[in-house]
Amino acid sequence: MSLLDFSSDVFIAAFFLYSGAFMLFTIAIMGRRWSGRKPEEHTARWGRIAFMVSSIGLLCHLAYFITRWMGSGHIPVSNMYEFMTFLSMMVMVAFTVIFAIYRKIILGVFAVPISIIVMAYAAVFPQEVQPLIPSLKSIYLNIHVTLAALGESFFAVGFAAGLMYLLRTVNFESKERSDRKQQRLVEFTLFSIIVIIGFLGSVFAFRGAGYESVFVRSNVTIDSSGQEDSTIEKVSYKMPPIVAPYHSETEVFQSFLGINEPLFEAPSWMNGVNAGRKFNTVIWSLLSGLILYGILRLAVRKPLGKAIHPVLDGIDENDLDEITYRAIAIGFPIFTLGALIFAMIWAQVAWGRFWGWDPKEVWALVTWLFYSAYLHLRLARGWQGRKSAWLAVLGFLVVMFTLVGVNLVIAGLHSYAGTD
Amino acid sequence: MGKARKPIQIIILSVILLLGGYAIGSSVFGGDGKPREGSKAPSFELLGLDGLTHTLDEYKGKSVVLNFWGSWCGPCVKEMPALQAQWEKWKDQGVVVIGVNVGEDQMTVENFIKLVDIDFPVVMDSGRSAVRSYGVSPLPTTFFINTKGKVDSIHIGQLDLDSLDGQIGKLVNP
Amino acid sequence: MNRREPLVSNTKCECGHQNPVGTVLCEACGKPLDEKDRESADNLEMRYDGVARRSQRVNPGIIDLIWNFFSSVKIAIYLIVLTLLGSMLGTIFPQESTFLNIDASTYYKETYGTAGNIYYRLGLSHTYESWWFVTLLVMIGASLVICSLDRVLPLYKALTRQKIRKHRQFLTRQKVVLVTKVEEEPEVWVARLSEPLKKKGYRVKTDGGALLAEKHRFSRWGPYVIHIGLIIFLLAVLARGLPGLNMDQHLAFQQGEVTKIPDTTYYLKNEKFTVEFYTDDEMPEEFRGKKVLPKLYETKAVLYECTADCIDPSKEPKLSEVAVHDIRVNSPLSYKGLKAYQFDYDLTPVLRSVQPELVNSATGEGYGKFKLDMKNPQRTFQSGPYTLSLKEKYMDFGLNDEGQPVSKSPYPNAPAFLFLITGPDLPAEGQQYFYFPKQVDKEQFQQQAINDKLGGSGRFLELEVQGMSDVDFAESTSYLNIRVDRAMPFVWVGAGIVMLGLVLGFYWQHRRIWLNLENGELVLGGHTNKNWFGFRREIVSILYKVDVIVDEKSLDNGGGLA
Repeated sequence: MSLLDFSSDVFIAAFFLYSGAFMLFTIAIMGRRWSGRKPEEHTARWGRIAFMVSSIGLLCHLAYFITRWMGSGHIPVSNMYEFMTFLSMMVMVAFTVIFAIYRKIILGVFAVPISIIVMAYAAVFPQEVQPLIPSLKSIYLNIHVTLAALGESFFAVGFAAGLMYLLRTVNFESKERSDRKQQRLVEFTLFSIIVIIGFLGSVFAFRGAGYESVFVRSNVTIDSSGQEDSTIEKVSYKMPPIVAPYHSETEVFQSFLGINEPLFEAPSWMNGVNAGRKFNTVIWSLLSGLILYGILRLAVRKPLGKAIHPVLDGIDENDLDEITYRAIAIGFPIFTLGALIFAMIWAQVAWGRFWGWDPKEVWALVTWLFYSAYLHLRLARGWQGRKSAWLAVLGFLVVMFTLVGVNLVIAGLHSYAGTD
Repeated sequence: MGKARKPIQIIILSVILLLGGYAIGSSVFGGDGKPREGSKAPSFELLGLDGLTHTLDEYKGKSVVLNFWGSWCGPCVKEMPALQAQWEKWKDQGVVVIGVNVGEDQMTVENFIKLVDIDFPVVMDSGRSAVRSYGVSPLPTTFFINTKGKVDSIHIGQLDLDSLDGQIGKLVNP
Repeated sequence: MNRREPLVSNTKCECGHQNPVGTVLCEACGKPLDEKDRESADNLEMRYDGVARRSQRVNPGIIDLIWNFFSSVKIAIYLIVLTLLGSMLGTIFPQESTFLNIDASTYYKETYGTAGNIYYRLGLSHTYESWWFVTLLVMIGASLVICSLDRVLPLYKALTRQKIRKHRQFLTRQKVVLVTKVEEEPEVWVARLSEPLKKKGYRVKTDGGALLAEKHRFSRWGPYVIHIGLIIFLLAVLARGLPGLNMDQHLAFQQGEVTKIPDTTYYLKNEKFTVEFYTDDEMPEEFRGKKVLPKLYETKAVLYECTADCIDPSKEPKLSEVAVHDIRVNSPLSYKGLKAYQFDYDLTPVLRSVQPELVNSATGEGYGKFKLDMKNPQRTFQSGPYTLSLKEKYMDFGLNDEGQPVSKSPYPNAPAFLFLITGPDLPAEGQQYFYFPKQVDKEQFQQQAINDKLGGSGRFLELEVQGMSDVDFAESTSYLNIRVDRAMPFVWVGAGIVMLGLVLGFYWQHRRIWLNLENGELVLGGHTNKNWFGFRREIVSILYKVDVIVDEKSLDNGGGLA
């Protein structure tokens, strides 16, 4: 068995161990009422087992990382798949650090799934080891990417704790307007997470079924010397096309549930065939998210926030608030060093300019400014509790846009851009 | 610190105003270093066809029409007769027309001059240093420099006899 | 602007200390100064230890108003948020600066339609150079300076002049509070407590039954160190724009040629440019035959400095070698602040010279080679008994609208030469001969036919290149980005100071414990700027050493956050 095979095996093991740890953390919290033991005893006992399982998972994850590094000859953070697997590992590292400080079992119920989702998202991308292109051949690849991911992972734990704070403190019984607004916002946050799960579900379901449809579009452009230049763009849909690219023709259409042609065409401002495909993916994610959400609502017969709220009963909200802040406070210097300072150093060495207002750079700055505002609001303006928790939730949205959104929506210099 | 507070505040605020003004000014108003109308014409040091080095300073006190051209550029060829005519018309009134050839070798330039029959001074910018300092991108580009060494106007593209005459007239009698 | 704290006219505390306007807690004993505040039981406002910010005064003038504006953290946060939003706007469409050669006024409309046009017209296509964005950055700079100055001096004073004995209300309204019975001689007990405190790294001061323990005060300077670093960073960025400190040009370097770097005394020679691609064996199976991945871009470069005859174009400059480096993407050449970065390349060969031979096509007799340079060629050549004088040369041969031969560009894409040959068996005035060194051009422009027309039927001379060794060309061109950026060290110093401040401020906490033991009652108050959880745990463990058993949670006086 080669190193790389071993590497992907332990990666899968880590995935299942995390999933197991998540279930054990849930049992530790949810089961405290039903078990014969005293609730604290039950939680402590199962929590310990859960943490052990998640730590073994992290060790497997680390083994994946090291063996892939050895097998490929370069640090495995050089494409979207590798970066996302690394990020999920760092989320577990951040979780482990914060857990070691605060020993809150409940944190596992919210932080571990983030890592699982990121791991699943990694699997969307091609997993082959790619050789490094010249611009990535630098020691700064190791430093910049790893530190940035670690900082962002602490923000992820901050997000988990912030969301927990909200689920704990929002009054889900009240009919008052301000409370209703909070309820709806929490529900929307949960729904967004479900849409991401819906996206992953539909990607893997259609991939498993081997679905593919192909569209072509010919573009005629007139170049400077007046020559007509025609290029043919081809795009392969891995999900049944609800929406076809703007002005395109069907080349291959695999029918799905009796649908034999796309339902409609993307609007003209969606330039390029890939915009149509991405739009289609968004529609599928929303659809499957909605279905998933509907099923969950039917199962619990109340808003999800209200359903989760009792799980957090008895958790000190002040502790959650402090965990949120602490995670961000630990992450902020690491993020600054990795995502800004080493990014600037690398840019200076590779491109001769430390800052070029490339979209990825700008969004790293936006993230930094956002968390600076968070820290100023908290430290100098006394924003604590509810407002601070919302900022932590929103902040992670900014982080995710920087990592994923920029690549999908805005193409730039960064080599991961346009990976999918 | 009580008494000194106000002066300190004023000093700090004015330093901020100064640096801030400079920052905003330099970012908004170019900063690319190219000469604009009204700015000082950059000096140059180029080899002439006569084998001597020529600088802008030699023509101090004269109005200078600085024309950047290349033998391969159609509009440059077409405007040469107009430049020659104006050179002949104004050369006794303190106007000098200088052709700056961009990046070609001596033989090409000599043949070209013979072909279009011009006799105003021509210098060769083989290293494109003047092109850089004058920020020239398309050819032809012509700079009208007044007697004080300031850029009076810039003309991008082919010149015609009438407008050239008008512009030189403006240069001589502002 | 409205003030959060009402300005109290009587700022003299009952302990006798005269406080400046704007003080919240007495600088000496810590008692709240505001009447209303005194009746409250809420946690005290401990920011900047309750001291007045420098700028607060009763009748502010215009200078004070401007000063107060920038001194406000609220304004600072607004500035941060506005900068954040402005930066976001700039990423909607690519900025003008990402393109080397476009006409922005039409590009955005053509590429992105109406939205692009609006984007361009709003000036968002150069967001980061716009007056409003730079103004925001300048205002952030001003805010950094003034906010810090206004707070750091009073805070410094407050922290260096701390009284050990504090007002009871100051203690009981901290976020960590313990009130309990201790039946022991105050001074003895306090001395006993000092030991575990010192072991935990606290600096302890006592005054009878009162105690002040403090550690990691330097952490309080963290934010100000960050701000100083940011100011240096911003100033350094500003300084980059000063003339002479900065140079940025993209230049083409033909392989084998020494090229002058304009505006400097340096010359750079591209000895060899290499581009390598990964072989199929090195690629994952899925990519084979589908993708081409570059492996290496490398320019073997030699840097020369001109030592004499540098400026005068009529003389050849004298050069001396100063640096040799293989320039790769992550490894620029660097010499005394001048850096050369690999930027781009062009593998089109560029013809430099040929050595054709004049041959008699009838007899096959050759008359000897001569060297014909593309740039600045000799004017006359001797080949056997024949003299060739060069009459015309075209670098990029073509015909204009009138059908006359012209050069279409100054680049030797399709060089052509017109010779006048004189010698035996030729007409007295000589014979014209058109020569295209490149085989493709010979065919495309029909050299044979042209010469037949020029030379007539008796033509017997041809110029021929005998082998590839007689052709000299630059195999490729490497584009390097030449930069000088003398302010960079200051940028890094600024960034380093920011990092230092972040570490100081975020990974340590300033912890203080005050206590007073009087009449058998211990009143303890604690304050930290972060991590109350760990602070409470530490106090519990310290008290445990002197046999006072308390629960962590019971120390929490509400709101123990931040």
